[in-house]
Amino acid sequence: RRGLAAAAGPPSTRQLREAEEAAPVFQYAGKAARRTDRVFGWGFCYSGALGVPSFVRPDAGWKKPRRIQPTPYRLETEEKISSAACGYGFTLLASKTRDINKVWGMGLNKDSQLGFQRSRRDQTKGYEYVLEPSPIPLPLEKPQQTRVLQVSCGRAHSLVLTDSEGVFTMGNNSYGQCGRKVVEDEIYSGSHLIHQLKEFDSRVVQVVCGQDHSLFRTKKGTVYACGWGADGQTGLGHYNITSVPTQLHGDIAGVNIIQVSSYGDCCLAVSDEGEVFGWGNSEYLQLASVTETTQVNVPRHLPFKIGRVKEAACGGTGNLVLTEDGNVFVWGYGILGKGPNLIETAVPEMIPPSLFGRSDFSPDVCVAHVRCGLSQFAALTNRGELFVWGKNLRGCLGTGRMEDQYFPWRVTVPGEVVDVACGVDHMVSMVRSF
Amino acid sequence: LNAAPGRAPRQQVRFLPAPAGSGAVELVAARVPVLADHPRVRGPRFRKLKIGAGHRLDVKASGVFVLGIGHGNKLLTDLYNCHLTKVYTVGGLFGKATDDFSDTGNLVEKTTFDHITREKLERILAVIQGTNQKALLMYSNIDMKTQEAYELAVKGLIRPMGKSPPIITAIRCLQFAVPEFQLEIHCLHETQQYLRKVVHEIGLELKSSAVCTQVRRIRDGVFTLDDALPRTQWNLQSIQEAIRNCQLKVETELERTL
Repeated sequence: RRGLAAAAGPPSTRQLREAEEAAPVFQYAGKAARRTDRVFGWGFCYSGALGVPSFVRPDAGWKKPRRIQPTPYRLETEEKISSAACGYGFTLLASKTRDINKVWGMGLNKDSQLGFQRSRRDQTKGYEYVLEPSPIPLPLEKPQQTRVLQVSCGRAHSLVLTDSEGVFTMGNNSYGQCGRKVVEDEIYSGSHLIHQLKEFDSRVVQVVCGQDHSLFRTKKGTVYACGWGADGQTGLGHYNITSVPTQLHGDIAGVNIIQVSSYGDCCLAVSDEGEVFGWGNSEYLQLASVTETTQVNVPRHLPFKIGRVKEAACGGTGNLVLTEDGNVFVWGYGILGKGPNLIETAVPEMIPPSLFGRSDFSPDVCVAHVRCGLSQFAALTNRGELFVWGKNLRGCLGTGRMEDQYFPWRVTVPGEVVDVACGVDHMVSMVRSF
Repeated sequence: LNAAPGRAPRQQVRFLPAPAGSGAVELVAARVPVLADHPRVRGPRFRKLKIGAGHRLDVKASGVFVLGIGHGNKLLTDLYNCHLTKVYTVGGLFGKATDDFSDTGNLVEKTTFDHITREKLERILAVIQGTNQKALLMYSNIDMKTQEAYELAVKGLIRPMGKSPPIITAIRCLQFAVPEFQLEIHCLHETQQYLRKVVHEIGLELKSSAVCTQVRRIRDGVFTLDDALPRTQWNLQSIQEAIRNCQLKVETELERTL
């Protein structure tokens, strides 16, 4: 009589161990797994500055266009983006590649600040709003050798810095900010003109756009400026328009400047010895430590006793400097980051490092970079975390909430933040995955 | 406890008749012990002890476990409302994933782990700290726009004073020897299973898998490993001494917070 098979019963320890050893091993990441570089953007979407067309024109008919992207959203790019800049409603992304397409732009293009984007419907006209990162055709002599180092965006113009062919400017030139002669009644929309600037005393290493003016810093440490000067932001000693980049003197004559910054109508420069120089608009007490006038048209040395300054960032109404020991100082007007009670100050005030994550548990956390938007501030720590504070205009802080932020708040980005570019109502960051 | 010398019986003044032999018929005041306090009448002093437990500890976990006796139970509720952080040492092992996140569960998957370095682990830990820091600020129910919120944030004293999901306030790597690693975690409102889940998620983030081998609580509010009694010292004298040593600490902590 056939016996019934015995029930399985709980597996003994030996059976469990054998089953475990026999199990297949999965490999998700090999030894050569590299960290990928990604781009994240957040803020106001209707201008197309975030580069995701489905925010403005949804794919399906029942979906509604998204007005604000409150948290970081990944932007797919073909190449690794090394430099990004946010203007007033548009964004430029640049890569260090040797391919023909080196710079992509998206957002507002009403003044051809993104070059000429040929419309597919009408071959003679250009797009006024570019919703996807589109390559900008630069008139390079050696397009397969030149590399783009940096881009910068202002209100309606943009600058592209290359390593061997000077600086390319495009966009609105009604104040000479593109470095060429102002043409009366020039129509900037749909213009093919991209101007090239080569005559500087040495190679240009940094370009900065203010609201309607441009600053160029050369390798020798001199600063050139052109554009609107009614607030003295060109620093040339007068309040007129300059249409040709001219060297600045004043307190920075002979000083080796290592960094320039501007976004609104005020400008800051940092020398190699850690001193800070400022010029331009001072209506918001930005330069009130040296002068009572509201416009300063010659660079003045700002005698702050805060230590060696490593980096400076200029916003619309407030300024930010980073010292060598990793501390952040703010002054000016607006939401400065020290609670709702500090609205304006003429003297730099330090933001307590505990707000950036430094504690007894992790005492070596310090701020590595500082950036400014029009009324927002951003700080990057050496651990790759991004802190933002300021006015939350149309969700540009990326915190997920719509309220203003009175002290530094961490932005949740899936990766280590390498760089961030702040605009008026949107921000773009370059992130490395883990 | 009952064998220890108890309270001395209460004394009362009673008027007793004069001892026989003196001939006087009058009452003499004498101090005699109250009969109701006699040990044979009263019985043993302690028949039941009310013992309450502090924060829960799993069967598979070990470490400091706070108990309150008698009046201590009320102090326990007060300590609970203080919402102090607890510190755990969590040991993990890369390469395996099980269904209950610990090394005694059923195997789900085995993965490679040779690409994991200490630097990658520390990066992941920094991210965990960052997201939990945000959760800390959000669940503390303070209006972010006020000056006092800013001042508390500077000092690092913002804490959720009510119910909240588990929050990790600090995490760091103590040891790393592939495939084993050990973390020190400071947390609030957590369960040990949540910590095992965190270990599992760390494994997933590093594109591998991890199981938790050990969870040990080394601090629970004010009580550290030094105050805790090991199994060999579970006798009356040590317990009484420990209670006496901790009283002062508990009082200061309660006064500071409440």
